[in-house]
Amino acid sequence: MSTTQFPYLTVLVLVPAIGAAVVALVPRQAVSRWFHEMLGLVVVVVTLAVAVAIAFQFKTGDGGYQLVSDHVWAKDLGIRWSVGIDGISLFLLLMTALLFPLTMLGARVRRDPRSFVAWLLLLEAACLGSFVSLDLVLFFLFFELTLVPAYFVIGGWGYARRGYAAIKFFIYTFAGSAFLLVGILAVAFIHQSQTGTLTFELPALMHTHLSGTEGTLLFLAFTAAFAVKTPVFPFHTWSPDAYAEAPTAGAVLLAAVMAKLGTYGIIRFDLNLFPQATRTLAPLLLTLAVIGIVYGALVACAQRDLKRLLAYSSLAQVGFIVLGTFALNSQGLTGGVLQMVNHGLIMATMFILVGWIYQRRKTWQVSGLRGLQSPAPVLAGLFTVAMMASIGLPGLNGFVGEFLVLIGTFVAHRWWAVVATTGVVVAAVYLLWAYQQAFHGEPSDEDAKTPDLGWNERLIVAPLIILIVALGVFPKPVIDRIGPSVDRLVIHVDQVTHTPLPAGLHAGSASTPSSHRLSGSALAGSNRPAGPSRASTTPTGGTP
Amino acid sequence: MSPLGLLAASSPATPTTHVPHVDYLSILPMLIMIGGALALMVASSLFRKILTVGVGTWITAAVSVAALVAGLFQWDQISTHGAQVTVAGAIAFDGFDVFIQIVVAMAMLLTALIGDGYLRREGVEGPEFHVLAMMSASGAMMMGAANDLIVVFLGLEILSIALYVLAAFNHKRAESGEAALKYFVLGAFSSAVFVYGIALTYGATGSTNLPQIADYLSRNVIASNGVLLGGLALLLVGFGFKIAAVPFHMWSPDVYQGSPSPVTGFMAAVAKAGAFAALLRVFVSTFATARTDWQPIIWGLAILSLVVGATVALMQRDVKRMMAYSSINHAGFILLGVEAATTRGVAASLYYIITYMFLVIGSFAVITVMSRPGDTGHQISDYRGLARRQPLLALAFAVLLLGQAGVPFTTGFLAKFEVVAAAEATRAYVLAAIAMVSAAVAAFFYLRVAVTMFSPVGPVGDVADGADSAAGVGRPDDTPGDGGWAGDRADDRAGDGRGSPTSRDTGDPVSSLRVLTDAPPLDSVTERGPVAVPRLTWLAIGLSVGFTVVFGIIPGPILDFAHQATLLFP
Amino acid sequence: MTINPDWYLALGVVLFSIGAIGVLVRRNVLVMFMCVELMLNAANLTFVTFARMLHDIGGQVLVFFVLVVAAAEVVVGLGIVVAIFRRRSTANADDLHLMKG
Repeated sequence: MSTTQFPYLTVLVLVPAIGAAVVALVPRQAVSRWFHEMLGLVVVVVTLAVAVAIAFQFKTGDGGYQLVSDHVWAKDLGIRWSVGIDGISLFLLLMTALLFPLTMLGARVRRDPRSFVAWLLLLEAACLGSFVSLDLVLFFLFFELTLVPAYFVIGGWGYARRGYAAIKFFIYTFAGSAFLLVGILAVAFIHQSQTGTLTFELPALMHTHLSGTEGTLLFLAFTAAFAVKTPVFPFHTWSPDAYAEAPTAGAVLLAAVMAKLGTYGIIRFDLNLFPQATRTLAPLLLTLAVIGIVYGALVACAQRDLKRLLAYSSLAQVGFIVLGTFALNSQGLTGGVLQMVNHGLIMATMFILVGWIYQRRKTWQVSGLRGLQSPAPVLAGLFTVAMMASIGLPGLNGFVGEFLVLIGTFVAHRWWAVVATTGVVVAAVYLLWAYQQAFHGEPSDEDAKTPDLGWNERLIVAPLIILIVALGVFPKPVIDRIGPSVDRLVIHVDQVTHTPLPAGLHAGSASTPSSHRLSGSALAGSNRPAGPSRASTTPTGGTP
Repeated sequence: MSPLGLLAASSPATPTTHVPHVDYLSILPMLIMIGGALALMVASSLFRKILTVGVGTWITAAVSVAALVAGLFQWDQISTHGAQVTVAGAIAFDGFDVFIQIVVAMAMLLTALIGDGYLRREGVEGPEFHVLAMMSASGAMMMGAANDLIVVFLGLEILSIALYVLAAFNHKRAESGEAALKYFVLGAFSSAVFVYGIALTYGATGSTNLPQIADYLSRNVIASNGVLLGGLALLLVGFGFKIAAVPFHMWSPDVYQGSPSPVTGFMAAVAKAGAFAALLRVFVSTFATARTDWQPIIWGLAILSLVVGATVALMQRDVKRMMAYSSINHAGFILLGVEAATTRGVAASLYYIITYMFLVIGSFAVITVMSRPGDTGHQISDYRGLARRQPLLALAFAVLLLGQAGVPFTTGFLAKFEVVAAAEATRAYVLAAIAMVSAAVAAFFYLRVAVTMFSPVGPVGDVADGADSAAGVGRPDDTPGDGGWAGDRADDRAGDGRGSPTSRDTGDPVSSLRVLTDAPPLDSVTERGPVAVPRLTWLAIGLSVGFTVVFGIIPGPILDFAHQATLLFP
Repeated sequence: MTINPDWYLALGVVLFSIGAIGVLVRRNVLVMFMCVELMLNAANLTFVTFARMLHDIGGQVLVFFVLVVAAAEVVVGLGIVVAIFRRRSTANADDLHLMKG
């Protein structure tokens, strides 16, 4: 752990939080109509700048927590303001910081922009806070806090059935996290009974000794919250409604950022705190993930509404993240983490583009659209890129993540990987079908008049498209930074569970058969993408 | 307080009566409250003309501040000299006691500020409100200080009798009288049960003095003493009524709804503070050795209160009724700390009490001003569009509601966290899990009100004011829906002469027809204009919101206070 | 002739039960008041009996507190009933149903 002088992470969280307060408190009458949106934009851009600065401060090759700062927050309760990042959270942080400005620009609202911007800023603070928290209660605070702005954004600016969707979203997620708090406290008290100190800090609690039953129950309590948020298969029913009824900004942030809170929570907390239970229950979660992948893909095929289609395709894609996570080896986890970022970028692009289609055509029904390709070629082109990335076309980012996940899973749990692969195929089917329906064919009069994207809109999606391509072609800088942290995690899990993986998959083992290395090297052109050996992790000077 | 001297006769069995030593500092806040009430009553009968509502308010506020300052002096005294008992062992003078004194004094101060605007608006003359409230506050203080069951009973009665009248004091409201009568009948019933419980406890242990009871219990192992168990059960029933724990809660919705709004806030905060203070002292401290007997009962009460409070509140359309059930839910949370029966649990309960005091009085301050003259506008739908008319008021109420919901970075979260932590420290995981799930359900109805305030008034299309049309990048994608909020269902209430803003349901042809036919023009229905918020009420709201947010972000001082208070618990 | 004090206790229980059932069953507010008084007096009887049994004067002193409180309670209660009666001309608890939910 390294301590820096400048509290980057604290600043990162505080900037949007303070920004939210300022935006909320500046009265509407006192300033011009654009003031609040401009101010909000300035805040998110400053936040992005801080995030980029953090990325430059980040030491590649160090798998531990970096930029840690740790202060007492509530002494009597043992809660600390303890923040830090590692390779797993770094890119989620960057993705979050990038998506907020783009969302704010690309999905503006007409009614009461002041409140809207304030809620978005609060949401950003909460999301970033969740990703950097190393104290379990602090994480819980931020994790819960995300619900409030998200609820107001869906409920206040959503579409026809927004009330229903917002309430469903809120109840599901809040009920899930109820168990999380109970679990956090239980871990802390068990730790206290073993060591005598009450703390909620992850690095300390990692070494709590849990009996099999305790571990299993606590794992389930934690996973309940994360599975709802992600969403993992049986807990997903809120998500199509929430995604479909939310305003574009809400859908983008729900799918791209907030869903990652769940998967991030699984990786960060389940794996660190309950390695034994994780290993024991991995088949269950793998099965749910695979069901999610196949079910999501199949149901997506039946959707006639673009937003719902994206919602179900998102369900299928987060299934891959969970799959990779519970493969519990370096490839799977690296792929999972990478896929979190990829999924965020892809979903954000798709939802923003679909939002623009709705602006032009006032419909999401695939049947209501036809032949948009000829009047709006740029829109169609960008949609194609995002869609191909989503399908997993080599050369785009989705492929790298999905492939690593499937490799990792295949080695550890072959049949799950095999079934999951069918999901990839089905994804190609429904996305191409939707694309064909909406963009190909002879446009009707109305469709023919659809304006293409303006230059400003092109500028908004440009960073996303560039990243989708860049991460597909050259993911090495990302994987180099994720790798060490993932390896540490895998070592921790293996040490606690005393489960030697099949030869070569054991993280840190020197004799790594090259066949397994092939996976990553072939993909990423790197000497160490998914290679489990930490020794081979040479911090090459790739800059982000 | 001199009658308490008689109790001296109970400890030494000598025929000579001697006046016990009274440490006046230990009862100073109570004396100030009672003295202030009596002085105000006398003054008002002498100078009826000049003693306006304003003067009454200022006197009450001054008395409350004086009691608060006395409480702080007490705190200082306790911190340096430690806890002690006084007035022949009838009064405990410890951190716990002082904590309750301070909470009650602050509650009284806030209520006086809110009451001022209410009394002016409703045209209620005379100092009765202030006098009764101060009396009631002194009763709550006495319950916090009581070290003898009979003093608990006296405190309970002083608190309650004044509250019965307070509930009815606005004689222009029919509901108030009804509320008062219901409160009275059930309150008297519960008092009688409580006294009988004291009698049985006295019979079983030979004393009503709490330390002596504890001493007796620790010396004699009585596994199955029917009289003692009966006494315990009846005491619990009595407390259950006062804290409105399920199944002894049935009075509270009606009473909360019917009482004048500032009184409801006061009742919720002060009656709970007093009753929980006594409950904690009697059960956690005195009956600690009989813990295994009463803990399961508290466990059941807590679960029932949590679940019933949260779920029934969901169905309420009246904000005050909703707050009543929410208060039942909160009582369940505080019971978590009682059930734990540890120092941590007591501290958690105390922290919850002070937090809830600010939240509930602040909320009722908003409810008071929102009710408009006549104290009638309590439907959730009356809050629609508040954020547009009065953004600051809406924001304040939203913060208070979110605080009650236990949203992070408010004191409400920390309070819930504390009690759940206390429960889990004693391995009551099931209770903790149920509590958190109930918090999730409860959060929903708080948010529903909050969202109602932030959702637009008027029919579809009215919302997207074309003037705001944002050009440039990304055009608005905002299509206002047809009001899917559950709060909208509140519209189906009986018409009270001014029509209900049903207009949002324009998706439904019947309701839009109704709007066209028998309702006055839309604008006059939905846009009721801002409500007047008196300056002192603003002050009270500001203090409540400030407390909730500031100490939610910087939790140290108040948490310390609560924990210190239990360290000085004998 | 001495009567076993247990009988007084039993009488207390009976009185208390009659009072409690009365409050819960009867609908006339005035009768409900009387039932509450019955309960309080049951408590008083129990106090006195226990004081005798324990040879402790304290229990008898407590009766005075209860009496005073009961008197204060009745004053307030009747005041409220009168206020309602003026408005509604009823003393039946079932007629009071302005609020429900």
